Amino acid sequence: MNLLDIRNLSIELINENKNILAVDKVSLSMKEGEVRGLVGESGSGKSLLAQAIVGVLDDKWHVHADRFHWRGIDLLRLSIEERKALISRDIAMIFQEPMACLDPTTTINEQLSEAIDINTFTGFFWQKQQQRHSAAIKLLHKVGIKSHSNCLNSYPHQLTEALCQRVMIAIALARRPILLIADEPTAAMENTNQSQIFRLLASLNQLKNMSILLISHDLENITHWTHNITVMYSGQFVEAGTTEQIFKKPLHPYTRALVDSSPSANFHLPAKSRLMTLPGSIPILQHLPIGCRLGPRCPRAQQACVKAPSVTNFHGHKVSCHFPLTPIKPQRKVVKGVC
Amino acid sequence: MTELLKVKELSKSYRQKGFWLKKKSTTVLEPISFSINAHETLAIIGETGSGKSTLAKLLVGAEPASSGNIYLNGQVLRDGSYKQRCQHIRMIFQDSGTTLNPSLTILQLLDEPLKLNTPFNEKKRKELIRTTLQKVGLLGDHMNFYPHMFSGGQKQRISLARAIILQPQVIILDEALAALDPSLRSQMINLLLDLQQQMGLAYILISHNLGIIRHFSDDILVLSQGKVVESGKTLDVMNKPQHKVTQKLLMNQNYQLKPRNL
Repeated sequence: MNLLDIRNLSIELINENKNILAVDKVSLSMKEGEVRGLVGESGSGKSLLAQAIVGVLDDKWHVHADRFHWRGIDLLRLSIEERKALISRDIAMIFQEPMACLDPTTTINEQLSEAIDINTFTGFFWQKQQQRHSAAIKLLHKVGIKSHSNCLNSYPHQLTEALCQRVMIAIALARRPILLIADEPTAAMENTNQSQIFRLLASLNQLKNMSILLISHDLENITHWTHNITVMYSGQFVEAGTTEQIFKKPLHPYTRALVDSSPSANFHLPAKSRLMTLPGSIPILQHLPIGCRLGPRCPRAQQACVKAPSVTNFHGHKVSCHFPLTPIKPQRKVVKGVC
Repeated sequence: MTELLKVKELSKSYRQKGFWLKKKSTTVLEPISFSINAHETLAIIGETGSGKSTLAKLLVGAEPASSGNIYLNGQVLRDGSYKQRCQHIRMIFQDSGTTLNPSLTILQLLDEPLKLNTPFNEKKRKELIRTTLQKVGLLGDHMNFYPHMFSGGQKQRISLARAIILQPQVIILDEALAALDPSLRSQMINLLLDLQQQMGLAYILISHNLGIIRHFSDDILVLSQGKVVESGKTLDVMNKPQHKVTQKLLMNQNYQLKPRNL
């Protein structure tokens, strides 16, 4: 059974005049123990999708989906309290900019021990404080912070960014989640720290069999760490498949452009030659093109592209394009509108 | 051919105030020498606190150097020679959104360096702004817009227009490509490479992304704790890193450079 199964999720921004469809029919499914990358440039709705999974979007946003299942339980049918209990038990999220997300007015110790599950403690109430403290230290060791006493007594601004990110991960791990959503965990971080954080996440995935949804705006950054990748563009589903499929044989022109535009992925390119790019820039939410939103920038766009394409499945490699790069043989089972 | 920009024994140290026995000085940049020709790109990499940004500040003259000289076309650039310096050495910053004054239109923004540095009249200046905007891939009519009306990639282009409007010889890119989305970033790289060919610009590229450095630069300088630990042709250094720091930097990005042997 899939851990997370989302079909045709749409997120709408309720506005006075016109509702804006920020995320348009995106499907995402995750298996247990999987590391899935969610790639999209700014404004592609990837963070919104993550927030919708955790359920932290406010009333301005309207979420509806054909299917929104977490281990077989329909999340949208649950009441808010039930959903909150379920999500806080099973899913944890780490946000971008760790410095800004930690409370600047309290020490790391308080923030970390707040997150620890009270039910794991045993014994009388005077023993619990001690247990809480040792649990916090253990968590810090788990994320690779050795000098725990220094770290626990300091405020977020006294720590470096990589340390803050580790603390964030420790807080997320406190409830032993099954799914960890990492929203750009290494944005604006040094290379050395970046690979440390990624290695930590990878080891958690292998040792604890924790599933990770890794959100990034840069395809090249995460390819080494993911099993599967879903690509989004401007709120629409683009392509999903294994990392090899996405990297070696992209079917969608947008994915092709993403792979080609990264200089590190193209070793054969001579230095200082022109990189392949798409013309134009990412559309803003107020002026989204109709149909396939890549249309105005796409080199292969034709008249049919004014209608949003349906998703075609090709040996587990799903693509949403009228004119994919490698022509897919017309399969019997073309699921319309559904991934 | 003489070098366009030559740096000789440039160093920077800060003095801490205190009583004369407690006076301390911290060296941020140890004496460093290098040179760049026109049409070439020098990349500078290093960890945080290795003195990359200090070097950039010294070159544009935002801070006085403690010792050493900078030669532009064989002439010494002195501290305070801003007139000469801001004509020939320009800088693009990391966050294009915050480096453009939000209360000025693009016309006013680009007019300022021209007013201060050139004897042109208003009509000529406007013409020059129009052609410069077209050069970086924007429309001439964009000059009446305010910065908030542009997207991130376009703002970065405006910063680039501001940098090249005085026909400089050296442009310093301090993490100028880091904050951009990948598709816009490759557009920007193409644009920079085109301008380099047309105008014979020399770039000094400060970046973390080794992929971009490999693609973009001719020479490389690896800094660590204010010292140059390795320098040479980019390809040589990347293929056979000698120093530990370089090896570590490369190792950390190796995952990205070789996305699993697909």
